[in-house]
Amino acid sequence: MRAIDHHAWTNRWRDWHPVEKGLPAIGLLTLTLILPPLTTAPLVLAGVMLTTVYGAGIPWKTLLSVLAAPATFLLAGIPFLAISIDFTSGFALTFSPEGFQLALQTMIRALAAMSCLAFLILTMPLTDGVLLLRRMGVPAGIIELILLIYRLIFVFAERALTGRQAQAGRLGYSRLDRSVRSLGLLGGNLFQRALEQARRLEMGLMARGYTGELRVLTPRWKLSWMRLAVGVAGVSLTGLASSWLARGLL
Amino acid sequence: MNEPLLAVRDLEYVYPGGVAALRGLDLRIEQGRKLAILGSNGSGKTTLLLHLNGLCKPTRGEIRLEGQPVSYDHRALNDWRRRVGLILQEPDDQLFAATVSQDVSFGPLNLGLSNADARERVREALEALRILHLADRATHTLSFGQKKRVAIAGVLAMRPEILVLDEPTAGLDSHGVTHLLGALEQLHEAGATLVFSTHDVELAYAWADDVAVFHDGVVLRQGETVAMLSDRELLRRARLRCPLLLEVAEALGVEVSAASPFRSREALLVLLQERCAGQG
Repeated sequence: MRAIDHHAWTNRWRDWHPVEKGLPAIGLLTLTLILPPLTTAPLVLAGVMLTTVYGAGIPWKTLLSVLAAPATFLLAGIPFLAISIDFTSGFALTFSPEGFQLALQTMIRALAAMSCLAFLILTMPLTDGVLLLRRMGVPAGIIELILLIYRLIFVFAERALTGRQAQAGRLGYSRLDRSVRSLGLLGGNLFQRALEQARRLEMGLMARGYTGELRVLTPRWKLSWMRLAVGVAGVSLTGLASSWLARGLL
Repeated sequence: MNEPLLAVRDLEYVYPGGVAALRGLDLRIEQGRKLAILGSNGSGKTTLLLHLNGLCKPTRGEIRLEGQPVSYDHRALNDWRRRVGLILQEPDDQLFAATVSQDVSFGPLNLGLSNADARERVREALEALRILHLADRATHTLSFGQKKRVAIAGVLAMRPEILVLDEPTAGLDSHGVTHLLGALEQLHEAGATLVFSTHDVELAYAWADDVAVFHDGVVLRQGETVAMLSDRELLRRARLRCPLLLEVAEALGVEVSAASPFRSREALLVLLQERCAGQG
């Protein structure tokens, strides 16, 4: 998570308007979901991965590790689509060609869709992404909540880490039963500290005139019509190429 | 005697559990001075500071802002907190926004400023603390010292008349302390009244105009720094030590007063060199 966050804040396209990144990514995601997967998904996957690495400057290693987690789930789950279980005459496992095709389609489509999301989370800090949500009409209260949680996750993650290290230093994780006990204590302790933290944060905010609303300035981006046009053109081209391929192949 | 900017009289605060944190305390905050509230850990300094901008309401006693007794209704509190800015010891208790400039903009927007004016205040505050380059950074990627400065900027952006800091140097390395005190000194020269709590007699001696010696919920004495810190009996009662520089000065027979304070290590080195040259 630290790595994702780090790249989101420091990548080459960090200063771009969120819409310039969000619109093409969501456009490609939509194409992936509505067009035939076998022709569209590989194009989207390759296009998005190359853009992420050579455009935004995210290292291959980071991108692949982000995609690896969902890919593992896919690999574990997908084969079962290619196998059908038959209970009519006892119990039989049979391999079905249609099932195999379905498995392949699902796999490639899911990966392509994941790559679009990976592109977004690797090139856009959560705070920018939230702006897109605001544009889409999500209520201010929910947005405040998301942003506060984002900020506090890092505060508590640090506490949790130091707490764990302190416990480990006193052999709290030397045996399985002790580990379970230590982890429970740590959790309880963090919960208490979270409440305490909330109280003190409220004091700190009250000292700055907090009256129930967390209003802050939103950054000023300049929308580049040029970049947006390139993005939209890329999506359209992918769509056209995919349809053309589909007519040729199928 | 002039009316102080903020005056605290006979302040008492009893925690909901019945433990008294402050027991009839007097404090004067004079315009344009640097006041150190000096006391050992756990003596109730933080509780006292929370009273200075109305975050805690005293059980008994009176606080006057420019001679007027403060009131705790909503509008009066807002005005009070704008004029008296409080910076907590732990910056994570104060920073809530995801980026630096967003966090600093919180106070100005609460004052009802327009976006353009708030933006200007943010720039001004970040510049005053020499952290303009951090404006677009994510809050959680900052070092402790940087967070501390952002927390101060967040309060400074509201242009308070009095800046109250709880243990401003706690947790900072010597470079961080120098940097922070430099920035605060500049604010002071620009006219800000500074109040800070500390347990560090050396810091109070080196930097404060006045010291209020605080112990066990009361201010034992408040006055000019050298006079307070050379009073051995007073320090003993507050369980504090005499600052090293002052002890050395006494041992060497140097007259120290508010007029010739002998406050820096440079002054000490010059003196020692003179003495050694005289012997040799």
